[in-house]
Amino acid sequence: MAELSSNSFEFETDSDVIEYFITKGWTDGLPIIPPTIQRVTKFLETVPNISSDVIGHEPVKNREITVEKIAINAVMAGCLPEYFPVILKTVESILEPDFDLHAITSSTMGAGILTVVTGPIASQIKLHGGTSVFGPGHRANATIGRAVRLSVINTTGSNSSQIDKATLGHAGKYTWCITENPNSPWTSLHEDRGFKPTDSTTSVFAGLSSIQVSNHHSQEPEKILRSFRDALFTIGPNQGEIVIILCPEHAAHISNSGWDKTQIKDYLYEISIRSNDDWNQGSYAPSASQGGVANDTKLTNVALGPDAFTIMVAGGNAGAFSSVIPLWGGGSRSKSITKVI
Amino acid sequence: MTQKLTVLDPTIEAKIENSILSDRPESLDGLTVGLLANGKRNSEELLQYVYEVIKEEYKLNEPIYANKGNASKPCPTDLLEDLADRCDLIITSSGD
Repeated sequence: MAELSSNSFEFETDSDVIEYFITKGWTDGLPIIPPTIQRVTKFLETVPNISSDVIGHEPVKNREITVEKIAINAVMAGCLPEYFPVILKTVESILEPDFDLHAITSSTMGAGILTVVTGPIASQIKLHGGTSVFGPGHRANATIGRAVRLSVINTTGSNSSQIDKATLGHAGKYTWCITENPNSPWTSLHEDRGFKPTDSTTSVFAGLSSIQVSNHHSQEPEKILRSFRDALFTIGPNQGEIVIILCPEHAAHISNSGWDKTQIKDYLYEISIRSNDDWNQGSYAPSASQGGVANDTKLTNVALGPDAFTIMVAGGNAGAFSSVIPLWGGGSRSKSITKVI
Repeated sequence: MTQKLTVLDPTIEAKIENSILSDRPESLDGLTVGLLANGKRNSEELLQYVYEVIKEEYKLNEPIYANKGNASKPCPTDLLEDLADRCDLIITSSGD
């Protein structure tokens, strides 16, 4: 049995454990699976690491995050042991300095952590990328995302009564883990990012609440993609990174016209542009120095360039509903991270 | 006898580093103040305003301006050490 260094507590019943953990602020408000030594040990046996290994450092709160603590939180979330390698690599990813975990988990802007797992491991652990992809009903999706959130709450102290100051937040802050639809007509996320098709990877995005885009009457790529303009304008100008989730129906129409992801990104970039006057009418000024300038006809794009768009295919086969997921801090201050599992 | 359920603590405490407060000056006359902004919009303006208010009461040297650039990351050590070398005291702020 692995040597564990965490403090331990004794209780009479599961209910006593759950009530104690909720009272201490160690959950997301929902009941947890009691992290017994036996359960945590089973999770630790799925990875080559030893329990005391440090997988990252949170510099603002000066905390060293260990494998053991992530295993405890993964048990609490209701995960199966075979999910643990995915969870460990995902938490390692959010601890990368470029992800700026403290900012995205304390900011009033209220980001969640969208985890996208692609490659062979996704089907091995039954991650879901189809119907109601962001909804309930799939254990791997529901509990891996929850394990990441509980890990953040308990290892960095970012809970809503202390460090997390989100004005609104969103439901993805409870749990937010998906894979792509396996029938995507294009390469998957990790291939787009230079990994081999046979690699399994996890990618993390500091996602704000998503904006659903509907178009049931068009089959031409241009007409479908023009439906995204209004949603994109709500994000603001000069975004460094934006996630686009295309539903299978939209993806099929666009792909049947011979378009690839590069053409989609180029077109979205080209059409999501408007004058600074228009930006100023809303809540966004393209830059502080331009705010409130009258008759400013200079054009500013939503994105900094076509490659700011990350295109994925997910969701059910029926229905023509896609979505835009804006990222925290203008999509520039927290960078998405992809790591091989 | 009912067997007790032993569960593990999911939390991590911050690593505590020992540090001591520096001596407090009895007066600010003749001292050099560092104004360390945190990168938020208006943080430099806020510090400048605080400096102007203090200056009405004390004969301060010219201030030293610095900006750590990112409000959600710790101040780089080399910047802190540089300010410590050049300033008698530092004021920081969070604007928005």
